[in-house]
Amino acid sequence: MRFLPTLSFLVAMPALAGNPWNIDLPESRLAFEATQQGGQFEGEFEQFSADMQFSAEQLGDSHFNVRIDVTSIQTGSSQRDRELPKQDWFAMDEFTEARFETTEIREATDNVNYAYAAEGTLTIKGHSEPVVLPFDWQISDSGQARMQGELVIDRTTFGIGEGDWEDPSAVGHDVRVLVDVQLNPAD
Amino acid sequence: MRIRNTTQVWGSAAKSLHWLMALGIVGAMTLGLVMVNLPMSALKFELYAIHKSLGMTLLVLAALRISWRWMNPVPALPDSVPPHEQRLAGWAHRVFYVLLFAMPISGYVINSAANFPLNVFGVVQVPNLVPESERITDAATWVHGSLFWLFAGLIVVHVAGALRHHFIFKDGILRRMLPTRSSKET
Repeated sequence: MRFLPTLSFLVAMPALAGNPWNIDLPESRLAFEATQQGGQFEGEFEQFSADMQFSAEQLGDSHFNVRIDVTSIQTGSSQRDRELPKQDWFAMDEFTEARFETTEIREATDNVNYAYAAEGTLTIKGHSEPVVLPFDWQISDSGQARMQGELVIDRTTFGIGEGDWEDPSAVGHDVRVLVDVQLNPAD
Repeated sequence: MRIRNTTQVWGSAAKSLHWLMALGIVGAMTLGLVMVNLPMSALKFELYAIHKSLGMTLLVLAALRISWRWMNPVPALPDSVPPHEQRLAGWAHRVFYVLLFAMPISGYVINSAANFPLNVFGVVQVPNLVPESERITDAATWVHGSLFWLFAGLIVVHVAGALRHHFIFKDGILRRMLPTRSSKET
């Protein structure tokens, strides 16, 4: 009985730090939909990692810090992918990482499709902008979590497609970002 | 205005298709020549989009045109044209029909193999024909470029032949393809 306070302290530890989760990368997708000459195409970032703290009961302690390897972009067209590292697009010589760090995770009272909303700062190509990512968080019977969400960003806000490429008829400004992430509870 | 052909004259449908496609083909070829020599830019993109839309439209017109030709008599060439020249003209026109399909289809394959979306004049979304492959893109690009020069050469011969008949032989062959005023029609 003497060591019970110590034990309870250990049990309480994860709760204090929020509930940490590890991303199962092969089962996860960070994709986007964009338009080229009025036609839609899809792409994804194959490499990304994140510190994920989430508990539906303790949204105040929940926090995401996502790092995306921009050089892992893939749009299913080698011709298109050859353009993306260039200065007018992602300028990968200088900027190899994009980030999303939350400032607040709350219930998505203003969105009927998603239960939660992650407010935070999205940084791409050195441009930081506040964004809101509405998302769902479902826990399976085996204790895994699946996070799904989406948001639309304007690529020009982040300097993606500069100069001539700001013309929306060649490449549309709106890019729909699709998040579908599988997570395991971190021990 | 007679819509259908007879064994003597071209009808208005065949004439319209001839001149509409002539305009589209010269436009698409000129655009093609200009756009491939531009550095990568939004303007280059825009010209490609118009070129592709024009090409897909011409492909549809080619299908209409060949169907119409099958459904109609073909006006005979006058006897003043020697038999070997009639055969030559026949072959030149067959090659034209092959090119009317081969040009847009090879272009469509280039775009498909590059996995670029294709939207005809911002109205019709066209699906891709083949999976993404740089080898197919390169092969189709070679075919498209080679056929371009065959097409350009044949157009020069076609126009030269028409003008030769009009100004040297004065046999009315060029006038057969020109619009007729209804008052003159017999």
